[in-house]
Amino acid sequence: MKILVAVKQVAALDEDFEMRDDGRDVEPDFLLRDLNEWDDFSLEEAVKIKEAPPAPAPAPAPVEVVVVSVGADEVDESLRKCLAKGADRALRVWDAAIEGSDSIAIARVLAAVAKREAPDMLFAGVQSSDQSFASTGIATAAFLGWPHAAVVSNLSYAPGAKSAVFRRELEGGLLHEVEIQCPAVLTIQLGINTPRYASLRSIKQAAAKPIEVLSLADLGLGSADVGEAGSLSRVRRMYVPDKGRAQLIAGDVAQQAARLAEIIKEFKGAAA
Amino acid sequence: MSRTDAVTRILFESFSAAEVRLFYLLGYGAIAVFCYGVYVQIRKYRRGAALRLEGGVWARFGAMLRSVLSHRTIARRDAAAGGAHRLIFYGFVLLFAGTATITLEYDILEPLFGIRFWHGGFYLIFSLILDLAGVALIAGLLFMMYRRGWLRLPKLDYARPDRVPGDPDFDRPQYRREDWAFLWILLIIGATGFVLEGARLVWLQGRPEVWDTRWWSPIGALLAQGMRAMGLTEQGGAVLRHGLWWFHGLIALLLIALIPFTKVKHIFTAAASLMVRDPLAAQRLPRVPESQVEAGAAKITDFNWKQLLNLDACTKCGRCHEACPARAVGAPLSPRDVILSLREFAHATLESGVVPAAAELDIHGKGPGQVAMETLWSCRTCMACVEICPVAVEHVPIIVQMRRKLVEDGAMDPLLTKTLQTIHKTGNSFGESKRKRGAWSKALPFPVKDARKEPVDVLWFVGDYASFDPRNQKVSQVFASLLQEAGVDFGILYDGESNAGNDVRRVGEEGLYEVLATANVNAMSSASFKSVVTTDPHSFNTIRNEYPDFGGKFEIEHYTTLAKRLFTEGRLKVTNPLKYRVTFHDPCHLGRFNKGYDAPRDLLALLGCELVEMGRCKANSFCCGAGGGRIWVPDPVGAEKPAQNRMKEAASIAGLEVYVVSCPKDLTMFEDALKTTGNEGKFVVKELIELIREAVPARRTDEVAA
Repeated sequence: MKILVAVKQVAALDEDFEMRDDGRDVEPDFLLRDLNEWDDFSLEEAVKIKEAPPAPAPAPAPVEVVVVSVGADEVDESLRKCLAKGADRALRVWDAAIEGSDSIAIARVLAAVAKREAPDMLFAGVQSSDQSFASTGIATAAFLGWPHAAVVSNLSYAPGAKSAVFRRELEGGLLHEVEIQCPAVLTIQLGINTPRYASLRSIKQAAAKPIEVLSLADLGLGSADVGEAGSLSRVRRMYVPDKGRAQLIAGDVAQQAARLAEIIKEFKGAAA
Repeated sequence: MSRTDAVTRILFESFSAAEVRLFYLLGYGAIAVFCYGVYVQIRKYRRGAALRLEGGVWARFGAMLRSVLSHRTIARRDAAAGGAHRLIFYGFVLLFAGTATITLEYDILEPLFGIRFWHGGFYLIFSLILDLAGVALIAGLLFMMYRRGWLRLPKLDYARPDRVPGDPDFDRPQYRREDWAFLWILLIIGATGFVLEGARLVWLQGRPEVWDTRWWSPIGALLAQGMRAMGLTEQGGAVLRHGLWWFHGLIALLLIALIPFTKVKHIFTAAASLMVRDPLAAQRLPRVPESQVEAGAAKITDFNWKQLLNLDACTKCGRCHEACPARAVGAPLSPRDVILSLREFAHATLESGVVPAAAELDIHGKGPGQVAMETLWSCRTCMACVEICPVAVEHVPIIVQMRRKLVEDGAMDPLLTKTLQTIHKTGNSFGESKRKRGAWSKALPFPVKDARKEPVDVLWFVGDYASFDPRNQKVSQVFASLLQEAGVDFGILYDGESNAGNDVRRVGEEGLYEVLATANVNAMSSASFKSVVTTDPHSFNTIRNEYPDFGGKFEIEHYTTLAKRLFTEGRLKVTNPLKYRVTFHDPCHLGRFNKGYDAPRDLLALLGCELVEMGRCKANSFCCGAGGGRIWVPDPVGAEKPAQNRMKEAASIAGLEVYVVSCPKDLTMFEDALKTTGNEGKFVVKELIELIREAVPARRTDEVAA
């Protein structure tokens, strides 16, 4: 009995930052990295299932929680946090060719990992806080041909069961209760549980647990499957939009109108 | 042989040989039970974790003896109880010494060497002293009975704030019964001793060497006169003496046998606890050894032998209960009850022949003897309990070690979880970017040196609140100006500094503390400076007392001592004396923790302020409620906050103008409490630094430049 949890190390902007020379991303030095907030919840959901008191006979097989992430070695820090919180194993997939992958290419990689690990369930966060595509989890399900559901806010699933029942919140205060066949891919919504705290001590001790690094070859993938070649979209540029300006025009109505006309002329002139 | 020489203590006279044998048998029996009890207790302590004590045994013994003989710790903040205990203690010790001397002569020196000294003048003087000792004992006991029975002191009420009526261990009436039984047994032993003495005199009134020297035992003589007046004959006296002798003797033997099993054992446990006292118990928390798998105390056996001994030393005097700020505002915590709970737990689990399975040793929870997480999280680690405990019980390390286990389990307020994660991520509790740590200094008309880049005389460790909290940033700017004007060559570490970790450690997140302490020690070690100053007493405490364990030995002072020196050296001058009527709040970490009581008061005097002390000041200062990480956890809605309790105390000072603090967290807590207690407009809360600024007006810019 195995649950695979796909996690991502996200980037947040520090106080001041600069753009990368190619203008398609922020210079990495200015980013603060942490585990994606949604992934805290999906990992917690998996660990909760693992820790739930076992159902009476027949005794089910013990639950193994495996976390997987796609990224370079700085991702190990986040994976170690996952191990500290109760994951049994961690996998990290990396190859220089993966650089520049979009969410679909990442999903292709994750699907390959899922085929290799053959879990009973695959959890992912609804979205990542830095890119917000909200597509990786569902795209993975598409590659696998597994049933899937997004934005799960409540789950009841007994380890080893053939199906799971979950709830999703819909517009207008409606709840959607759905039964799904396993294995399935569920993307987990914030608030489904209360993620636990990983003490620094437990993170340190988790350093003893293995993080297995997989290459594309290990997964039977080639460089054409990932990176820009394997992606369906491409970032053209990332930038801070010019801020709009406002000013208050003082004076009586005639003065205000005159000044307004002036500004319009200036603006037209500048654009021309 | 002269008549006085013949006088001696009457022991077994008129007893049959069988009776004497029976008495010895019972005596040995009592001693055997006593020894067995001592063995059980020591076995219990040895079931705790190992601990190596620093310092020599004799130095420890001397310190203990000074505390015990002077009764200094017992008389503090309760002179009456201290005085009564002193009477009981010295009465008991003298009477015990008297009895022991008789044994020494009768059972050892005389049979072995033929030495006798228990007669004549020596006997008479001893007889007088022991009579006086008996009076002292009885007087002390009667006062204690009056105190328990009539004074109804809240600190002697065993009702627990962490239990509700109906819980099996809510108010523990067995403790009250034991208290009274102890008092009565001692009283009966003392009283029957006197009556026995009187009866013996009546019985032996025919012997001139006894009767003529009777006033050397004045109480016995008075009683003898009285008994004779009531018609007691010599024969009657003999019978009474015989009966009382056995009664008195049996109760005394019973007391000896019961010592290890009842509160009487405090005679030994309290003394031993004083002997193993750690003067930095709360200031310098214990490290977790690398080899230890579990970070904190989960089982009773995770405590070390000294802590288990501490539990047994408690005499339920209730002083910690009275001093605790959490208890004062109705939080489910009394340091006394934490100790007593764990003691009951240790008693139930560790006194039998075999130690129960680990599952039965879990001290966390709501069962009898267990401590609930709400109780542990109520603690502000203000050290009021440790400071006042007369028998050196060290509550704070016990509570923090239990919290370490809660942190491992994530059993804490979600806001606290969030704060710890934030501190791990950004190095500060405000969640601000590391780069912004020194941003407060940009508002100054002069640059503040970066101590990482150039040598300075004084390294200023700023701390989180003084760096990021907007109100405290203003104080930091003022302090920087004062240093600049006084010509102090100082600098800060900018983003090289992290949260000092004092409160993180007191929360129980030891791993994070290690990260923070190591980062700061490294940053400070790579800078060049002569000494460190800080405006933050929390940072002050951990850098002073705890960083040495992480390889960081720095000379550090709180700004109050530095500022005082700048005045005495004439580098700062009061040109605008303040005439304010002020009171001063001792920050826990400056006052109680590090005994920095004087410098702030001297400064206030230098500034011309009239200082009116609050009732709870100096060592008995009342915590603002922010310590132990509680500043990151909101207090329960509706209940009084410690800071509000304190504001009401301050507001009772007539004509108070300024409530002076010298700690960034105090400024935050008390400015808030000033508003919520409706005292806004009546007086103001100010940092001492701000008062200094007022009394030492800023020089004009051209002067500063010159």
